[in-house]
Amino acid sequence: MENAITMKNVCKDFKILNRHEGLKGSIRDLFSRDYKTISAVKDVSLEIKKGEIIGYLGPNGAGKSTTIKMMTGVLEPTSGEIMVNGLVPYKERTKNSERIGVVFGQRSQLWWSLPLIESFKLLRDIYLVPKKDYEDMLELYRSLVDIEPILHKPVRQMSLGQRTLSDILAAFLHNPAIVFLDEPTIGLDVSMKSKIRDLIKGLNQQKGTTVILTTHDMGDVDALCKRIVIIDEGKKIYDNDIEHLKSYFGSYRTLRIRHADDTWEERVIDESKEDVMDVILKKQKEQKIKDIQLQEISTEEVIKKIYEGSSAAKGNSSVVTSDEKKGAAEQ
Amino acid sequence: MSETTLTKQKTRRGFGFYLRIYKKILVQDLKSKMSYRADFVISTFGMIMTNLSGFVTFLILFKNFPSINGWDYYHMLFLYGFSLVALTPVQCFFDNNWNLRFQVQSGDFIKYCFRPINVFFYFMSEVFDVKGLGQFAFGIGTLVYAWIHIGIPVTPLVIAKLVLFLLTASLFMIAIMNAAAATCFWIVGSGYVMVIMFRFKDFAKYPSNIFHGVFRILFTFVIPIAFVAYYPSLAILETDNIPVLTWCAPAIGVLFFYLSYKFWMLGVSRYDFTGS
Repeated sequence: MENAITMKNVCKDFKILNRHEGLKGSIRDLFSRDYKTISAVKDVSLEIKKGEIIGYLGPNGAGKSTTIKMMTGVLEPTSGEIMVNGLVPYKERTKNSERIGVVFGQRSQLWWSLPLIESFKLLRDIYLVPKKDYEDMLELYRSLVDIEPILHKPVRQMSLGQRTLSDILAAFLHNPAIVFLDEPTIGLDVSMKSKIRDLIKGLNQQKGTTVILTTHDMGDVDALCKRIVIIDEGKKIYDNDIEHLKSYFGSYRTLRIRHADDTWEERVIDESKEDVMDVILKKQKEQKIKDIQLQEISTEEVIKKIYEGSSAAKGNSSVVTSDEKKGAAEQ
Repeated sequence: MSETTLTKQKTRRGFGFYLRIYKKILVQDLKSKMSYRADFVISTFGMIMTNLSGFVTFLILFKNFPSINGWDYYHMLFLYGFSLVALTPVQCFFDNNWNLRFQVQSGDFIKYCFRPINVFFYFMSEVFDVKGLGQFAFGIGTLVYAWIHIGIPVTPLVIAKLVLFLLTASLFMIAIMNAAAATCFWIVGSGYVMVIMFRFKDFAKYPSNIFHGVFRILFTFVIPIAFVAYYPSLAILETDNIPVLTWCAPAIGVLFFYLSYKFWMLGVSRYDFTGS
């Protein structure tokens, strides 16, 4: 299948002025040519297929936004190649933006004072959406989510959840090939989160839209993404299916044991090293066990382990891809 | 969406397209502004008071100086009205320049880069300041009043000249504010630059020839405030002896506006969008 996005050895450096302290330092800075270079993205290669929902993860400051900005054509990469929908985004920013949609978490891109339906009409005109396509899209929206209560409400009067919903709807309105969602569920309540996840999933299935989802919410990832890409300190450290993620770090489970005095003991068991049943039997010989619980390790904990692991192994540039993962499992 | 429709669409985004979009945004914006009635009434009242106090100050000043450097009371009034009208477009259509630095510093500015339309247009279209309309009405009133008293003949040619030179004068002020606002892409203290430039506009309502040499050169060639009213208005007020700079003003105005736009867009392209 054709790629929606291809990145080859993409790097992005920022030049930042070395600032000096104090008044003297500030004056020196005025004339200073003393720049330091910061690499925000280091040699990232990535292929994203049409119609995929990709979870794009990484700790704060890992280079996620910078990558997205390069894909949307706002920033030019320092080196490497990017193709989005067959275009070089920074060279053809306008043309590229016709075929992408962008939602940046808490920054609404709608007209603040206008009712949502008027924003939709303006977007229809800006993107030159044919009347029929526009009507069909609204019909699809109606089938996926209850839009009537927000349609005639000015954006400034909306709750955060309604605003996010509106922003997502607006991003899909011109039926773009790719939609970038940056932390779409940040700050939302549980029911709104699930509503938004359903909407994204529905639109992805109905329209075949490729979705690049940046988030810190593992609930989003579990609900939507089959494949995740993790970057840290500008480097890609994981790129594979979400199922492989758990096994990559060994299959961990948490065993909780309730003793006779009703206290709980917790133990993380690495199943490649020891068997859960053995542990239970051993424990039972030592003391009376009232109850046991066995918990699968959550995606959140795995991701945490990956973040911690990657900052511990600084400078190690190994990237986990599906081929290498097999090797890792064998070891 | 197929490639052919895409290329067809691209060619359709011309001047007419932008005009249509702007009109739609404007109509919606006005509708929503009217719905905040108290806000609308108070800001309209405030605008009238501001203009009125400026006008009264002006009257008091010039009742005491019947003539300055050959400019009598009605000529001064004409210039005053001319500058008010010429300053209307910058107030109405380009007021969002004042918000530029906040949006740039917070990183919110990035949203203007995701749409397939001109970034400058998209940014400016977001704010239409109604207060400018009152200023416009006030300026026209003053202009007509002075016009009658001076006894300038009303011919189609004079009216055409008036419109042309009013537009010219507007372009200069717009260009100055664009350039001042765009400095925020490079420096943090751009707010001061804007305030200083905006204050300079107060000099526009005086004939430039009352200023001393250094200032006259400064206001003509460095910060072209003299082009916001003085030079263009001479095209109407003078019958002969029209300075060369007056005739050159429309061309210089267009050029100056174009340069300020390019400077603004250069800022956008140089901006790293790191504030996120």
